[in-house]
Amino acid sequence: MGLKAYVVRRLIMLVPIMIGVTLLIFAITQLFEPIARASIYVNPIRVRDWNAVIERYGLNDPVYVQYFRWLNEVLRGNFGYSQETRSFVVKGLLTKIPATAELVLYSAPFIIILGIYLGVKSAVHKDKAIDHMTRIVAIIGWSLPSFWSAIILLSIFYGIFGMFPPGRLGNTAQHFITTGAREGTYHMYTGLHTIDGILNGELWITWDALNHLVLPCANLTLIQIALLIRVMRSSMLEALGKGYVVTARAKGLAEKEVINKHARRNAMIPVITLSALLIAGMLTGVIITETVFNIPGIGATAAAAAIHHDTPFVLAFAMFAAVLFVTTNLLVDILYAYIDPRIRLG
Amino acid sequence: MSNLVEIQGLVLRFYTYEGVVKALEGVKLNLIDGETLGVVGETGCGKTMTALSILDLIPPPGKIESGQIFFKGKEKTIDLLEQKEAFLRGIRGKDISMIFQEPGSALNPVYTVEEQISEVFMLHRREELTVAAIEAIERDAESARGGLRSFIYGIQRRIYRKMLKNPRSLSLRFLSRIPVVNRYKRRLRKEAKKESINILRQMEIPDPERVADMYPHELSGGMQQRVVIAMALACNPTLLIADEPTTSLDVTVQAQILDLIKKLKETFKSSIIYITHDLGVVAETCDRVAVMYAGNVVEVADVIEIFKNPLHPYTKGLIESIPRPGKDFKSIKGTVPSLINPPPGCRFNPRCPKAMEKCSNVKPETIEVKKKHFVSCHLY
Amino acid sequence: MGVGSRLREFRRSMGPTIRELRFSISRIKKSPLSIMGLAIIAFYACLALLAPVLAPPVPPPMGKDDPFMMWKDINIPARERVIPHPPSSVHPFGTTEGSYDIFYGCIWGTITAFRVGFLVVVGSLAIGLFIGSIAGYYGGIIDEIIMRFTDIIFAFPALILAMALIVALGRNLDNVMLALVLVGWPGYTRVIRGEILRVRSEDYVEAAKAVGCSDLRIIVKHVMPNSIYAILIMASLDIGAIVLYAAALSFLGLGAPTGYSDWGQLIAMSRNYIYANISSPMKYWYVYTIPGIFIFTFVLGWNLLGDAFRDILDPTMRRR
Repeated sequence: MGLKAYVVRRLIMLVPIMIGVTLLIFAITQLFEPIARASIYVNPIRVRDWNAVIERYGLNDPVYVQYFRWLNEVLRGNFGYSQETRSFVVKGLLTKIPATAELVLYSAPFIIILGIYLGVKSAVHKDKAIDHMTRIVAIIGWSLPSFWSAIILLSIFYGIFGMFPPGRLGNTAQHFITTGAREGTYHMYTGLHTIDGILNGELWITWDALNHLVLPCANLTLIQIALLIRVMRSSMLEALGKGYVVTARAKGLAEKEVINKHARRNAMIPVITLSALLIAGMLTGVIITETVFNIPGIGATAAAAAIHHDTPFVLAFAMFAAVLFVTTNLLVDILYAYIDPRIRLG
Repeated sequence: MSNLVEIQGLVLRFYTYEGVVKALEGVKLNLIDGETLGVVGETGCGKTMTALSILDLIPPPGKIESGQIFFKGKEKTIDLLEQKEAFLRGIRGKDISMIFQEPGSALNPVYTVEEQISEVFMLHRREELTVAAIEAIERDAESARGGLRSFIYGIQRRIYRKMLKNPRSLSLRFLSRIPVVNRYKRRLRKEAKKESINILRQMEIPDPERVADMYPHELSGGMQQRVVIAMALACNPTLLIADEPTTSLDVTVQAQILDLIKKLKETFKSSIIYITHDLGVVAETCDRVAVMYAGNVVEVADVIEIFKNPLHPYTKGLIESIPRPGKDFKSIKGTVPSLINPPPGCRFNPRCPKAMEKCSNVKPETIEVKKKHFVSCHLY
Repeated sequence: MGVGSRLREFRRSMGPTIRELRFSISRIKKSPLSIMGLAIIAFYACLALLAPVLAPPVPPPMGKDDPFMMWKDINIPARERVIPHPPSSVHPFGTTEGSYDIFYGCIWGTITAFRVGFLVVVGSLAIGLFIGSIAGYYGGIIDEIIMRFTDIIFAFPALILAMALIVALGRNLDNVMLALVLVGWPGYTRVIRGEILRVRSEDYVEAAKAVGCSDLRIIVKHVMPNSIYAILIMASLDIGAIVLYAAALSFLGLGAPTGYSDWGQLIAMSRNYIYANISSPMKYWYVYTIPGIFIFTFVLGWNLLGDAFRDILDPTMRRR
């Protein structure tokens, strides 16, 4: 089938999964008592008479009725009130996203480029020094508890050397931005301090933000790169054993071209599907990394919300993660079909 | 009639976990200029390995321990095993080409047919393509009216002239890396594509322009093999090594490909080493035949002679085992020996109906029993 | 056919199996990484078995009735109890915030780790075997429904779904295990179903059917032995991942209660002491470093073993 038909088919399959996701989240809400569930409609702090609230919003009605009512609210963007962010969940989420986005933005290139490079090198020089070293790094990264590596990084670089402090910005920069925003002299165009700093002409802010980003990005990279290296390596090994590699050599191509032009192109294909998994890994990774490094992103907020029983936020976060993950999977599948002509045309 | 290829005493060993595989034990073979030499034998007898040795494409853990492979170049004869990798790369695909058994896996699934054939042209025929590109630029420049177009053509002309004079110059390498500027390379690709379509046509592929833009998996087995042959013959090699090219194809397609190869031999004037286990194919296409068993060449003769008068017991067994309607099946008893612990002396002796005591002790020498008929057996 | 010749037949037919097994063992012996993995796990197993001897439970008032709760050193004056104390003869690994003995926590934490790892993996595996077999064997609409269900669970990143479940179910270690099983069973289901489908369509199953084997015989003799490798590899790699997840959840405060012998929980207690002051930044290194090393090496051991299994048992990679 053509590419278009493939895309349409996948989009259609998206619907039942999304419905299922909402069903699962709703099922989890039903594990709570009516009082906790009420927070989707009202701000729990302001409630005096719980019985009235339960009556009014039908929180003891049959399950399917509740589901549709709840779904209605969700589709209108109302997840309820989150005490953690002291605002409605969606608004709270949105204010926290830039911090996480910045973190992911600066980690992703390292993970991808370094992962692919090391994976290819590892496969081409199988069983030699670089292969062993890379595999050791990969397996260490896979076995490290992300919170522990974060703590170690922090204690060594910040504790001993005083470099790369935790948090998102230093006190001076933070103060500058807050007062600047209030007085209108500093504009938050994107919410990403690194870019806003440049756009506002205050390069020292960008530098400060980058300084704070080094350790968290390093932590994220260390954890995620392991999987990428492993998959790239095995996929490359498979490609190198194929017939077209021998043919390419028999044509007189230099080994470097054989590896890069012929083998690697084919080896990248499974790796692309992996990038969807990387997104899931990032979402999970930021929870821990932001918590340890004190970065006010959605991950840290979700962790705090979980401890403080702020169910609307936690569930909304879960839904957000699921939607993001499923969408990324879909995009990746489409990309995969586009790149591999066998899928597209076969 | 001189020898295009002369293999002397080729010893090839594979160092594996389970032991040393003595794949080739002193192979002696030669190919006369202009002929089609058939190399026959069962699976595992070393035919493919001999061919791969010529191009030094033996995969690890294999190692060529000793021997010489003489190849007659335009000026002098060289020993291929003594050459450096860079030199061999210049030969592969240009003077000596090889085609393999499964065309489906020999072609890269993510590149079109034309891209893969053009690769050979771009690699070995760069000069001719550059000249053709310059001519095309001149033509375009003539019909241009001046202004931006002429300017661009002027620049292109200079770049291509430079490519002709000094293809590896620093400035060219630098230019080729800049994203928009390096579009000048498109001309070269266009010329290469023209040549690729040309050669596809010579392969008797219908509608070559359309096929050129297709991907390998969209083609049938026979078409894929034609593409592989096109890649191999693109630069008019002196020697073509065909390793069981029709084994994985249907019988009817097989016949077509064999016909094609015969015709192409006339047009391209290459010598061919044809590796197969099918005696029927040998009878059809080859001038001379070499029979291999367990890493040794056991008999070499003209094709008619070897069918009429097979001398080695193994050859006799092979010919007798060709199924004939009305006659009983005959087979050679026993199986191919392990090459880690091959039988001492003549490796065929455990299965040989005429084995003598000498056969399990001493390896037989190659003797010319009749004119141009060599055999390696103690019976003679 | 007498008994003797039957035995000879059996031994001859087992020949290739034994040869393969010996090849596997030799590969294991040759790979230093897999030996290291085995050694690490053996070491921790010893620690777990000898826990009551190495770190004897302390009765109240210093300890609690549950041996898994770490004991507090009341001998330290109340004012100084809050901050950690460095290793000493009484506390080989030092004390953490609240003067819990780190050594005790780490040793008994080994048992916790094994317990969590095994229970979750075995639980997920059991559910996966059951549901996966049904899906693979019956196919059709049942298969579709089961697959859609696993799709829904797969739509969530594992830790995030586990977090949501724990918020709903309540914060303790048992719920952590339950949540991880609920999140983990689809993985095993998919693999087992995939293996059943794959083996079903293999030629040798067709051949077995053609010779007249019953379905059950096919499953037991053909499907199971060929699928076991995949399951073994998955399980051994999974134990490491599960322990990491559980530790992360405990670290965030969603798992074991304060004072429980759990490595993640120990590190959670160390968060305030990552950097002390300028003059001696690593003053409290023992509070986070030591439990962390335990987690890291434990997971490393299982990962090495799982990797080694994968390299050794994968038939396509058994290139001599």
